[in-house]
Amino acid sequence: MNLLTALARFLVFPGLLFAIPAAWFVLWLERKSVALLQQRIGPPFGQPFFDFVKLMGKSTPQRPGVNGIMMRAWPLIAVSASAGAVGLLPVLPLHGGFQGDLILLLALMEIPAICMIVAGFSSRSLFGEIGSAREATLLVSYNLVFLLAAVSIAVSQHSFRLESLAGAPATWWRYLGLIAILICLPAKLHVNPFSLPNAEQEIYSGPMVEYAGFELALWQLSHGLEWIAGVGLVATLAIPPSSHVWLDIAGVLGLGLILVLVISIIAAATARIAIDTTVRFYWQCTIAFAVVAISATLLMRLRS
Amino acid sequence: MKLWTRLLCACRRRSPWIFHMNSGSCNGCDIELIASLTPRYDAEQLGVLLQGSPRHADILCVTGPVTHTAAPAIQTVYQQVCGPKAVVAIGSCPASTNVFIDSRVLVGPLDKHIPVDVFVPGCPPRPDAIVRGIAAAANILAERRDSAASAESTASSATTPEEAAL
Amino acid sequence: MKILGLLWKNLRSGVATLRFPAAPPMTSNYRGLVQFDPARCTGCAMCRFRCTARAITFTAAGKQFTWAYNPGQCTFCGRCVDGCKDHALSQDSNCPPIYVSAGSLRTSYTLQRKTPPPKTQPAPAPANNPSGETL
Repeated sequence: MNLLTALARFLVFPGLLFAIPAAWFVLWLERKSVALLQQRIGPPFGQPFFDFVKLMGKSTPQRPGVNGIMMRAWPLIAVSASAGAVGLLPVLPLHGGFQGDLILLLALMEIPAICMIVAGFSSRSLFGEIGSAREATLLVSYNLVFLLAAVSIAVSQHSFRLESLAGAPATWWRYLGLIAILICLPAKLHVNPFSLPNAEQEIYSGPMVEYAGFELALWQLSHGLEWIAGVGLVATLAIPPSSHVWLDIAGVLGLGLILVLVISIIAAATARIAIDTTVRFYWQCTIAFAVVAISATLLMRLRS
Repeated sequence: MKLWTRLLCACRRRSPWIFHMNSGSCNGCDIELIASLTPRYDAEQLGVLLQGSPRHADILCVTGPVTHTAAPAIQTVYQQVCGPKAVVAIGSCPASTNVFIDSRVLVGPLDKHIPVDVFVPGCPPRPDAIVRGIAAAANILAERRDSAASAESTASSATTPEEAAL
Repeated sequence: MKILGLLWKNLRSGVATLRFPAAPPMTSNYRGLVQFDPARCTGCAMCRFRCTARAITFTAAGKQFTWAYNPGQCTFCGRCVDGCKDHALSQDSNCPPIYVSAGSLRTSYTLQRKTPPPKTQPAPAPANNPSGETL
């Protein structure tokens, strides 16, 4: 993948130019579907865009004793990392990619969460520390399942290259791994039942407590881009390749929308779970999926 | 730049994020404020979100006659809200201390401490009146046409409401 | 799993929200702003006595008195309305309006004291009946 392709994928499609409106759309879709499930009207279309523009017009607080440059850098790093993750998605197969870009994608998807943790600690606020500690525990709990499932998908196709994973016909081991990733997605995206770190009324928004204005707008944007990256990863790997490019794209978009709705239904149907129950859920229940997936793929490799 | 200012003001009207602060109220107005977020009245149709941190909010909704322990907390939280900001006094307690007028623990109506933009009378006010009050405050924010540079800068302390109330 | 059935029922029932700025209908018993009828008031100041929040102020000077009402202070309890023997006070059944400057809903009326109606001849007292006859 040469530099021009990389820049095009990062900036244009499926990078920033496409992903930012898509992120706003997905954020609106989540809020609207949760509202409709609760018999409410919900926000009008374009609400995340209005929120973003309004936040750009707010003044930034002065925070003495806190390193302002670092605090401003974390949301920027989070947005760039999640935009890079979206840019790596194999939406159009056979269009560049490199060996091992699945690993880069997973690493880039972790960075916004790590930025949130560090931002909470660097804000020197009591609530930021609590929120960051919860987020760190959440990260440790779901990452075990998430990474094992991703590795099992890669091992089943003998490749860590996203293009070949998306291009190859799917096997049922891959779907098992994708279901495990899907179970980890609510925790990655901080929606109910795993919306601990930014619990609003309990800990005054956790790591985000001292952020305002443009930085908060960037955090919202990185949250939307994480949605796109997470849902896009599952959607692009789940749709088997067909002869028509447009059919592939339509399939990926359709499945992505369905996944957004499914996650919203889960978010509307559940309440926030405490951190110890979350860790127990991932380490005791869901780990079975990931273990089955990876052992099945390793056995398959041993046989072949 | 004029187009940007017009877009900014339109978005300020459509996205009023509120932070709710109780300065000693009986909780009647707090209950009605929460009721205005329920499906029947649904303040989210106007884009209203109840935020957890004062730094995230534009509109500070205050209930309660201001007790003398709550007064410094109200001022700290008001300074923590990032400009441009508006204040809605919900109920007749913040407007005038209501039936608690002779109480020795009160330090007077809210506008002695912070500038108030909208008063919503009632004891407690109906949730639709509260939503109308928040919409009026959003309109005030939109029409004030503050630029980000001229908006009031917040105070320097990074204390949180919890620590301020102690 | 019952929650999923509940969510499905919610989705089927449609939106239950009142679209802004629609409001639920007010009943006629709603206790809103206190309305003053200057034609009926005789200046007894019972409303000021009964007011729990000191929203009603009454100042008298000679033949004149001033009745003032501050809805920002009012708790809409209705004691003034109940205590007015002249039925000069009533409560509006509409929601009190929101306002932007303190004290802008204050009303005050300055009235002249009415002369009391002339006394009519009292009816003659019934004669005492020493025998205690009941009629």
